[in-house]
Amino acid sequence: MRIISILLVSLLFIVACEDLEQFPPNIASSNSLTDYEGVLNAAYFYQHGSVTPLAVMGDFRADNAFMFEAPYTEFDLFGPNLTTMEDQFFGPFYTALYKSILSANNVITNSENPTEVAEAKFLRGLSYFKLVKVFGDVPVNLSPEPSATDESILTRQPATNVYNNVIIPDLEDAIAGLGTKIVDGRASKYAAQGILGKVYLQMGEFANAEPHLAAVINGAAAAGISLQANFEDIFGEANDLNSEIIFATQISSSISDEYGFSEFWSWSGGLDTKSLNPLEQDLVDAFNANPGDLRAAVSIDTATMSSPKFPQTGGPDHDWIELRLADVMLMYAEALNETDAAPETVLDVLDPIRTRAGLAPLDHTALDSKALIRQAIQDERRLELAFEGQRWFDLVRTGTVDAEMGQSINSNYHLFPIPISEVLASFGVITQNDGY
Amino acid sequence: MKLTLTLFTALLITLSGFAQSGSTLTGTVTDDANNQLVGVKVVVAGTTRGALTDSEGNYEIEVNNGDELLFSYFGYETQSVTYNGQASINITLAEDISQLDEVVVVGYGTRKKSHNTGAISQVDGGDIAAIQANRVDDALAGKLAGVLIQNQDGAPGADPKIQIRAASSISGASNPLIVVDGYPISGSLATVNPNDIQSIEVLKDAASAAIYGSRGANGVILVTTKKGTSGRAKMSYNAYISTASKYVSDNINPTSGEWAATIEAGIADGTFDVSEMDPELLNYRLNAFKNSPDVMAVEDWLFRTGYSTNHDLSISGGTDDMSYFASLGYLNTQGIAITQGFERYNARINVNAKLNKRFSTGLNVNGFIGNRDMVGHDMRDLLRAYSVHPVYHTEASIAFVQQLDQQAQALGLSGFDNGFRGGSDAPWNSSIATLEPGMTAQDWHYGRSGNGIGGSGDAGPATKLDNTDRYQNTIFGNVSSFLQFQIIEGLNLKTVLGADVRDTRDFFWRGLEFDSRARSTQTALDQTDLKRSSVLSETTLNFAKTLGGHDISAVAGLEFQNFYINGISLNGTNVPYGQPQNFALLDPADIAISERRETIARQSVFGRINYAYDNRYLASVSLRRDGDSRFGANNRFETFPAFSLGWNIHNEAFFNSNFLSDFKLRFSRGSLGTTAFLGAYNSLSLLNPQATLFGNGFLIPSDIANPDLTWQTNTETNYGINLGFLNNRFRIGVDYYTSVIEDILINQSVSEVLGTTSIALNSGDVKSSGLEFEVGATVVNNGAFLWNLSGNLSTVNSEITDLGGLDELPRTIYGQSGRGPVFRNYVGGQIGEMWGLETISPVEMVWVADPTRNNGINSGESYVVDQNDDGVIDRTRTVEEGGDLVKIGQNTPDFYWGLNSQMSYKDFDLSFQLQGSHGAEVFNIDPLYFNSQWGGRLRSSFDDNGDGIADHNGEHYERNRNQTDAMIQDASYVALRNVTLGYNLVNKLGLSSARIYVASTNLLYLMASDYTSFNPEGVEITNSGYLGPTTYGVQVGASPVVRSFTFGVNVNFN
Repeated sequence: MRIISILLVSLLFIVACEDLEQFPPNIASSNSLTDYEGVLNAAYFYQHGSVTPLAVMGDFRADNAFMFEAPYTEFDLFGPNLTTMEDQFFGPFYTALYKSILSANNVITNSENPTEVAEAKFLRGLSYFKLVKVFGDVPVNLSPEPSATDESILTRQPATNVYNNVIIPDLEDAIAGLGTKIVDGRASKYAAQGILGKVYLQMGEFANAEPHLAAVINGAAAAGISLQANFEDIFGEANDLNSEIIFATQISSSISDEYGFSEFWSWSGGLDTKSLNPLEQDLVDAFNANPGDLRAAVSIDTATMSSPKFPQTGGPDHDWIELRLADVMLMYAEALNETDAAPETVLDVLDPIRTRAGLAPLDHTALDSKALIRQAIQDERRLELAFEGQRWFDLVRTGTVDAEMGQSINSNYHLFPIPISEVLASFGVITQNDGY
Repeated sequence: MKLTLTLFTALLITLSGFAQSGSTLTGTVTDDANNQLVGVKVVVAGTTRGALTDSEGNYEIEVNNGDELLFSYFGYETQSVTYNGQASINITLAEDISQLDEVVVVGYGTRKKSHNTGAISQVDGGDIAAIQANRVDDALAGKLAGVLIQNQDGAPGADPKIQIRAASSISGASNPLIVVDGYPISGSLATVNPNDIQSIEVLKDAASAAIYGSRGANGVILVTTKKGTSGRAKMSYNAYISTASKYVSDNINPTSGEWAATIEAGIADGTFDVSEMDPELLNYRLNAFKNSPDVMAVEDWLFRTGYSTNHDLSISGGTDDMSYFASLGYLNTQGIAITQGFERYNARINVNAKLNKRFSTGLNVNGFIGNRDMVGHDMRDLLRAYSVHPVYHTEASIAFVQQLDQQAQALGLSGFDNGFRGGSDAPWNSSIATLEPGMTAQDWHYGRSGNGIGGSGDAGPATKLDNTDRYQNTIFGNVSSFLQFQIIEGLNLKTVLGADVRDTRDFFWRGLEFDSRARSTQTALDQTDLKRSSVLSETTLNFAKTLGGHDISAVAGLEFQNFYINGISLNGTNVPYGQPQNFALLDPADIAISERRETIARQSVFGRINYAYDNRYLASVSLRRDGDSRFGANNRFETFPAFSLGWNIHNEAFFNSNFLSDFKLRFSRGSLGTTAFLGAYNSLSLLNPQATLFGNGFLIPSDIANPDLTWQTNTETNYGINLGFLNNRFRIGVDYYTSVIEDILINQSVSEVLGTTSIALNSGDVKSSGLEFEVGATVVNNGAFLWNLSGNLSTVNSEITDLGGLDELPRTIYGQSGRGPVFRNYVGGQIGEMWGLETISPVEMVWVADPTRNNGINSGESYVVDQNDDGVIDRTRTVEEGGDLVKIGQNTPDFYWGLNSQMSYKDFDLSFQLQGSHGAEVFNIDPLYFNSQWGGRLRSSFDDNGDGIADHNGEHYERNRNQTDAMIQDASYVALRNVTLGYNLVNKLGLSSARIYVASTNLLYLMASDYTSFNPEGVEITNSGYLGPTTYGVQVGASPVVRSFTFGVNVNFN
């Protein structure tokens, strides 16, 4: 009897004893990967989180659009309380880009596929460029598995160092490693080259920008990149990945997104209750100064005082245009002008854009100085790129914030606030921008 | 009261009317020592004839030949004598040893109460059944020292927060381990039918819980369910119905008429300044507010009278060799908020059998089905809607909005239809011109606050609620069996094998119409199915022996328990409009699927020896070693020792007091571990799959691999004293404990540069201490009238003593969309302190440029103190660090208490249960939405240069939402949790007993005067960014405190 019971008992042990070494059967571990395509896809995926914040910062901070409802009005107030908007804008923007960077780091460090590495470098360069434009100095981490105790990766690096040590080398590597053909809207050589041109413009290094921008324009046709004949055919879901788009952050309503607040087009479209009629009269006036500009009807609606550029129909599937050929041409003209090219050479570059807009080419006899051409290019950029998240960054880059906005704005507020949660989580190693 | 007395007298007359003519019997009742006993109840069995002994112990009763007389008295064994014509019957009652020396259930065994050396609280099942709570934890609220039970959520079917002593984890929930009949279940206490309970023991100190090792750190609740006893089958049936409503009956938000009155009064007395407003707009608004027809306060629509019905049936019985207990329970609750509801089924079968002289066996089966219907949308958002319109349109309201729109346009304001952002192709009414009675009233129908009075421009609250659906279904089953073999007398081998399964489905749907902008990306169809199961195998060797004065018992055992979590979660978007809620109707690309397959394995070996010498000297030693797969490869095993000592001084020869009947000193020390919040694979870095435009993506792992992740250990020392007076008629228990938690597991927030918001670390120590008092008294006991009163009071203090080299954890702002305090956790401080800016006073309404836009209660801004006078308000640094943060609150009560009373007079019983908590605070976010969500609309003359300093008085000012103490409210409360009045109908209709009762929960609930929402116990723990107790104390739209009234019956047959 005793023996039977002991046998019975020992049998029961076996029934329920499991090994303490447990691993989920259905999930990969980060150090067991051999193919990094999924990690690269995540680096693209995370770009999505930067889109709505960029759209709001680019146009609502500038003189194209305004907010109606407090505290969103802080975007138009240039004071310390903009930190209130961290939760929906600067916080998720920051988070998304550093996640994209970490994913890119993983591909760059571990993948043996050169195209994947080049795409990852493009995304990392683009991410740091967005961060620097918005925050100025930023933390730099190039490791896929950063140590939680390493303070050096949290210390904000001067923006120039980020440009010279990360963004430019990454984009140069991407140019070298990528083909000119755009496949499925993924990063390509000209995307990298166009962004690099933009980086040099941002740094004020026009001579460095000029050859890259020239290369894009010259190579465009062979790569299947061309201006759309009609301005309206560039925008919206129906035109996603059209021939003018060099790089876009693709958005699909089917793909859930870590940014859970609002879609970028709902802001300019006046579809958010925080600003139902966001269009600024100043932009209306700018269009009115160019009678016959075909871009006006596409870009602004003065009846509702909003922008129909990215309409509600198809909204959740509108891609976010990061770079299109017209932008490159405008930048190229600017680089030429700043490097003292002849006025006609500069203005010729803009002809196709002017013509498409139904406007006469700019007259080099009237615009006979570098300063006048600079202003003309800036005005052209404003009308061409309205509600594409560019305006504010152009104003800051060209030092024309006060002149164009018609008010004296403390330069502290050219940059946006670092998320307070970052200052707190890093014990102050990550510092706040002055003025906030 | 008068009525009660009349009723009572009437009943007495009725009872005496039952007395039959027969002989009159007299006699005296005494105890062993020949003391006359006063108030002994003498009844003729099977009748209602009864009498009480008088002050000399004499009784007199009418009897017939053959009557069986029962003599009963509290603390004494009941005796029965048959009357066969004796002249008189004198009785000597013996003390009931079992009542005086009860047994407490401890981990893996039992111990005599007088031998207990730990801090264990015990509640008798009768006390739980007596007050007929919906659920076991409700019945326990306020009953036990050191145990705080609060309605953190408050919705029907939601588990309350149960906190035993100080929080043992600063990141995870501190839910205690629930062990039902020896089986540690994966469900909550809700799975146990309150009527099935024999007793509940709460192991509070480490030494008592240490036998559960790493699972006992939050305390252990041992539930023992009823077993059958040999004899005839007994059946018991309980049923009740109750109605419920929210306790705070006043509405928090004013309706438009009240609001207009406030504005007009404000203008009249100069507290509102409308000089910057267009007078025509002002007139238009005021008229609209005053004349809007059929206005309904949102609260009047959302809240209703709830009801519950409950039925329980149990049967028990047995023979000498076998006993059984079986029960069925059903509860159906309609909540006090529309769409809220809860339905529950319970079933239990307990069978115990003796197979032969040596083998015995038992089987417990418990099943539970719970269906919770929840309010499908954030209550805060529903309640913030302006009460300026009906919930459903009437002809009058349609005519009103149409003419209001005309008025607005005549003033040059935009038409109300512009407020609808759904696009003309939205498949439902998109214009105020085509409204029909019965349609839901949308906020935008009334214009926005710029051109009308509708406020947010959202859909109306009824549209939001009608277009959401949220429920949770739970099926829980637990089977455990044991086989016991008696090797020799006093030495038993027992093996337990069991399993439990908890299957939950969480469903959520949000339709297109919910969103006033008709964005299909805002639709959702989400369904998560999770199966959590566990398998337990436990084998113990028990030894018990009494040798002279030596009483030894010991247990040694091996235990394996594995947990399996299997689940799948479907998250759909672009849900088709007007179609059934079915995944098959979605585009496959719109359904994101995630899957969970997890295994947690545990292996344990444990042992304990209890020793008592001569009922005077008591000792207990235990040891447990646990291994757990959740920890890093380097640190899977840990050993948890404990010992305890006790001294029954009253049993010493030198101690001879009639007054002091119990005098015991206890000391215990033990260590416990906890896995806190750890999931199965927190020590691994895993790539979560996610669909992207280019195919499968691997997201950034949410954990950073940590092979050193390990147990946090909690070493607790407990000092206790028990005193009993006058044969334990009055009892006092005091416990003091100190606890040191080492290697505490925390979710430490880190910079997003690392790709995650927080990482799990073992870092730091927390010291806590607390005092617990329990007093009990049998205030009156004279047979007819019995009154037991008990009370308890507990304090908790905790202090962070180390943070692995850090002075402070990273600060976090947690709340709702950036509204919330700065949570600080630093060495020398408490866990989860709320810090923020000190306010001086609210910014006066007179500074609001347009005081008619919002519902006008306050400006939403306050003047704040620049603590260091540096001209800058810094919300990230403390005063010490050169900033302006000061401590503004914390959510741990200074002390909490309970008072319980049970009275019975003859066939009546009356009990009540009071609970209080004092000194805790909440950062209440509701007012930011309810009263003044549009802060920041001050006139330009208030601060002309926008430097954050008010021009008129030179004070800094800040929005209340920005970490200010203006949102801190006192969360103290005193609640009359339960009051029950019952009446026993003895032996009518062939029943052995029947009782009817009325009861009320929260008949009285006192809140602090500065508290402005519905439930001071409510704390939000589900918003993103919640890190556990380090960020505990924010309240957002908590489900209200509920007051209910119940009528019920208990019927017993045998």
